[in-house]
Parts: sequence; C-alpha cells; structure tokens
Amino acid sequence: MSDPSPHPVETGPGAGVTLHGGDLAWRPVSRSLVTARLLVLGIVLAVPLVVGVVLALVLTPWLWAVPAAVVLVGAWGAWLVTRQVSAISWVELDEEIVIRKGRLFRTLVSVPYGRLQYVDIQSGPLARALGIASCEIHTASPESGGSLPGLPVDDAEALRTRLSARGEAQRAGL
Amino acid sequence: MTAPEVPVVDQASDDGWQRLHPLSPLLRGGVVLLAVLGYFVSQLVDRVLSSFDPGEDPTDDLPGGADGGVGLAVVDHPFIALAVLVVVVAAIAGAFHVSWRFTRFRVTGAQVELRNGVLFRQHRQVPLERIQAVETTRPILARLVGLSQVVVQSAGGSDSHLTLAFLAEPRAEALRAELLDLASRTDEGPGPAAADADVPDGAAPAQVPAGARDRTDEGTPVVAVPNGRLVASTLLHGPTVVAAVLLVLLVVAGGVSSVLFDVGPGVLAAVPALLPAAFAFGVGRVRELLLHGNFRMTRTSNALRMRHGLTELRASVVPLHRVQAVEAVQPVLWRPFGWWRMRVNVAGTGQSEGQEVQAALLPVGTIADVDAVLAPLGADPHDPLVRAALHGTGRDGGWTGPPPAARLFDPWSWERNGYALGDEVLHVRTGRFSRRMVLVPYARVQSLTLSQGPWERRRGLAEARVVSTPGPVSAAVRHLSVADAEAFLDVVGEAARRARRSVPGPAPDAAATARGDSPGNGPPLAPTTSTLVDWPSPHDPRT
Repeated sequence: MSDPSPHPVETGPGAGVTLHGGDLAWRPVSRSLVTARLLVLGIVLAVPLVVGVVLALVLTPWLWAVPAAVVLVGAWGAWLVTRQVSAISWVELDEEIVIRKGRLFRTLVSVPYGRLQYVDIQSGPLARALGIASCEIHTASPESGGSLPGLPVDDAEALRTRLSARGEAQRAGL
Repeated sequence: MTAPEVPVVDQASDDGWQRLHPLSPLLRGGVVLLAVLGYFVSQLVDRVLSSFDPGEDPTDDLPGGADGGVGLAVVDHPFIALAVLVVVVAAIAGAFHVSWRFTRFRVTGAQVELRNGVLFRQHRQVPLERIQAVETTRPILARLVGLSQVVVQSAGGSDSHLTLAFLAEPRAEALRAELLDLASRTDEGPGPAAADADVPDGAAPAQVPAGARDRTDEGTPVVAVPNGRLVASTLLHGPTVVAAVLLVLLVVAGGVSSVLFDVGPGVLAAVPALLPAAFAFGVGRVRELLLHGNFRMTRTSNALRMRHGLTELRASVVPLHRVQAVEAVQPVLWRPFGWWRMRVNVAGTGQSEGQEVQAALLPVGTIADVDAVLAPLGADPHDPLVRAALHGTGRDGGWTGPPPAARLFDPWSWERNGYALGDEVLHVRTGRFSRRMVLVPYARVQSLTLSQGPWERRRGLAEARVVSTPGPVSAAVRHLSVADAEAFLDVVGEAARRARRSVPGPAPDAAATARGDSPGNGPPLAPTTSTLVDWPSPHDPRT
C-alpha cells in the first residue's frame, strides 16, 4: 500500500524510540505555548498577589509574606511550565506518531496511523491570539490517544492532514 | 450452495415493520409504574365504593357499600366517580395502546430500525455490520409473563444501543439468532450464503432457516459452572473473607474483654456499626451469585454464547472476532482449588451498563475450563507460553521481566511479572500470589505507552503498556528496566505493524478462505489460523 500523502513521511529507523534523548528527529512544540501557559499562570496568581499587597499596606507589614509567597509560587510555576513545555516532543515515523511528555513523570505514547479514528484541532481565544492550536489524536480507546498542545496553527492543520491521509492509507491495508 | 432460503413472511404489517408485544409499555414502566398505577386505581376504586356510603370518610379502607345507597345526591356521586375511574383506566390503556402502535421495528438486509415516540419521534437505525453484540434479557416482571427484551449493542456505548422491549420469548430468541446471523454474514462479506439469503431492502426480514437457527442457538457446549462451585468461589472473595474474619474477631474480642475486664458491652455495641459494611459486602456477593448462577457457555462458529442468571436470565454473546484482549485471574484464595476467572475486552462494549455481563467471560472455572475457553478464542492452550503465563515464574522460555532493581517495588512478584512474545499474541503475566495472565493479539494493539515516575527513574525502571479498547482487561508490565521497556516498544510495535499489514483487508473472500469458513464447521483450531488475529480491525470503516 503506497502512501498517498503529499508530504514526505519523516522516517526514522524502526528501532530507536527512547523515553529520553535519542537519535530521532524529535520535534519540539512551539515556544508560544510557554507564553500562553505563563499568561494563564500570571492571571491566576494576580488576584492573590494584589489582595496580599493591599492587605499588607492596610493592616500590618507582616502580611508582606503573602505576596512574597505568591511570587515564589509564581517563579516556581514559571520554571515548571518552561521545563514541561520543553519536555514535549514528537516524531512521525513510518507507521506511528510518537509523543513524549513530562520530566518528573515521563510518558511516551506511540499511536499507529492505522489505529487513528479522528484528529481534533482545538484552540481557545488565547491560543488563537498566539497562533497556536492543540492537536488531539483519538483511537478506539479513550486512554490511548495522544495530544500535542501548542503547535503553530499551520503545522497543526498540516499534521492533521498528514495523519488523516496516512490513517486512511494504512487502515485500508488492515 | 444450498437451496435458496425462502424468507418466512413476518407476522406484521407492510414493509417488514413489526410491533412489540402489546404489554410492552406497561412492562417498560417497570415495578414503579405498576405500583403507582395500582395505587391510583385502588384509590379510585375506593372513592367509588365509599361514595356509595356518604357517612364514611373516603380515605377509609373498608368499602362500606353494604348499607349505603340512600339519598338522591349520592346516586350522582358514585356514577361520576365510576365514570372518572373508567375514563382514567381507558386513558391509560389508550396511551399504552398508542405508544405500542407507534413503536415499530424492522430488520432489513442492511440494518435494524426502531421507531418510537408519538410527539417526539425517534428513528434509530443500527447497521448490521455495526452490531457488536445482541443480548436477550428477562427482567423479573417480564419473566412472569414470558417476555424478553432484545438489546442490540453497537459501537458507541450504551447510548447507541437499540432495545426491543418486549417480545414473546421464542420470538426474542429467534430475532436474536437472526440478527446475529445477519451481523456475522455482513462481517464475513458477501459470501455465497449471504447472497442466498439476501433480501431487497424493505422486504420482509430474512428469517434464518430452522436448521441454521438451531446451530446459532445451541452451539457446542464449552463450559458449565456448577452452582456449588460458584457459591464457594463467590464466598472466597478476599475483602469479604477479611471483613468476615475481622467481624468475628471483633465480636469474640469484645465478648471476652467484656467478661474478663468488665468493660461492659461497650465494645459489642460497636458491632452494629459494622453491619452496613457487612451488608454491602453481602449484597455484592449475592449480586454476583444472581448474575452468574446457572452459568453455561456454548460455542458457535463465530461466537461464544453465555446463558446465566438466577433471577434474571441473561443470554449474551461475545463475537470471537471482536475480542481484543483476554485475561485469566486466580485470586489467592482460589489457588487451593485451582480456579480461574476470565474476562475479555470486546470492541464496542465500553463501560456501559452491559459491562458486567460482558466482563465475566467465565466467572469461575478450573484450568480445564480455561483451556476450553481459550481454544475458541484462538489461543493454543498447550502453548508453553500460555502455561508459563498461567503458572510459571522466572526468566526462562522467552520471558522478560523486571530486573532485580525492581525488588523494592515488587518484593514478591518481580520474578513472575513479565511478558513474552508469541507468534501472534503478546503474553503478559503478573502476581505471585494472586495470578494474572493477559493475552493480547498483536493485531489488536491500539497503541503502546511507556511511563516513568520519579521513583522508577532513580532505579532506571519504566512501565510498558499495551493499550486495548475500553474494558476490564489491561496489559501493563511494570518496572521493566528502561532498556527492556524501549525494547518492548520496539518489538511489540514491530509485531503489531506486521499484524496490521498481514490481516487481509479489502478482500473478504480471502479472509473467509483463510479461516476455512463454511457454515457447517467452525473455524479451524490450528494455531496458525487463530480466530483472534485473522479478522480485520473492529474499527475498520469497512466492518
């Protein structure tokens, strides 16, 4: 069964998919995802920060501990977001797409194109403003699909097209 | 092939539309509806009767009609009440009749259709090739009047089921057999048998000839579970036994201490507090017994049929080619008896209400029973890998498992846990005391995952997992070394790739030939043509 995809498949050797590192051309997601997640984090933390500052000014200087804690949490969150986003990588093989995520809790999912049911592209207002979208891959099992957050919109669309085409081609051979 | 099968003319109207049993609307309401109706009707009757007697309060139970019937106003009154009663009864009967009239179903060559609703109409169609399982159940109320319901399960969860409630029992059984037969024919593609029985759309449903129906209906017996064994195994349920022992210990300790130390019955007073828990356990056990009682499994050419249930008879069907993964479990308390429980993942029957029924392929069986069930599923029970998966331990014979570094996490079972690659099936085994074996054909692998938490990472371990369709069976090998986990991804991935390619797709004839399928004899048992792996993907749009 030949691959009718207009895009060449970025092949890797059949072996060599690793939980960590590796020779394959692992692709990162867009750095805009960091921005998006940092913005969300900032918005969430802004309220306690403002409240803490106001209370400290009004009541007692001891309450400066609250905004300080919020800032610390924010800094830790920002560090976490950066690391998490940089840990997301994916690669398209001949017959599978492989997605890796996480640093502390690492996961890797390898989804055969032939098992794809459908692919969702989603983007909220914030993601749209930053020009990114998330690509969600669904198989017959709800737990097995992978999701790729933070792809540039064009990449996400192209990925979906490629995935659907290969899904069709390889499913036909099932 | 054989003589053309003449479709038996169905019992109902034009275009093959058939109606359900007239009592259906009443029974569908269930006990609650009956109770409510009974209450209102009896209230009305009370009204009528007591209105003959002006002296008595209408709420009085005893009809005092004997000495009533005097006075002019009263003559009006009972008649009105009687009229109300008649009108209400007629209205209910009329509503039921209309509901019955508007509920129709038909089976065409391509699909099952159900129309219902008067104001809000619904027309549901399930293509025959989407049928995952057909089940007849008999709720106790329906059983009293000899009716059954037919549930047609299709991919897409319980919301997409089509329930035909209710039909007279023989008709329900015939319909189930017919649907299964039609569904399996569409699965096999337009073979000669299907061509013979093909009917134009809109014509009467193709009835299966009596002989074929018998074959579909009965099949060859595979396993029957004696109720004695079922009772014993149900009671030998870990948490239940522990709870019972604790309860007894507590009572004894309480009694002893109250006698010895004169603390009074304070400790014993705590016992009733435990009763709800004990009750919960009891209910669970009883439900298990009721569900699995009188368990019998038979096998047809393309499905395993189970009949079970003490109060509610259930007949469910596992189409062999939709089985995604098989599991055999031996809880530690069952080990002295050598009993196993088997469960399967069946494509299309997710976590729906039918799950319980689908889940237990075999509630309790001996090792011989396990073998008998494995054979039609396409696994060779005499394969040394299967034997090792059931009983074995250690790394000999092709097994890969956690390294000694995993001892910290699995002090007892690390030597037994592991996986082995068969020709067409992945074998996974876990548990030293309570044993578990999982078989997943490579052709059924949905996707593969690896995962690693911080503690595993420090020891250089990772978990490898084969993702199957939703169901009770999951195949994970925990705490493999990272290199082994990556190798798992590699070799199982490669085997799955090969299996996906080798399954014959667009040529149904090839598929049929490969299985050596002819209506009379079942699929061959040779391990090379295993039933588990020869079929196209369950989610292949073609099927």
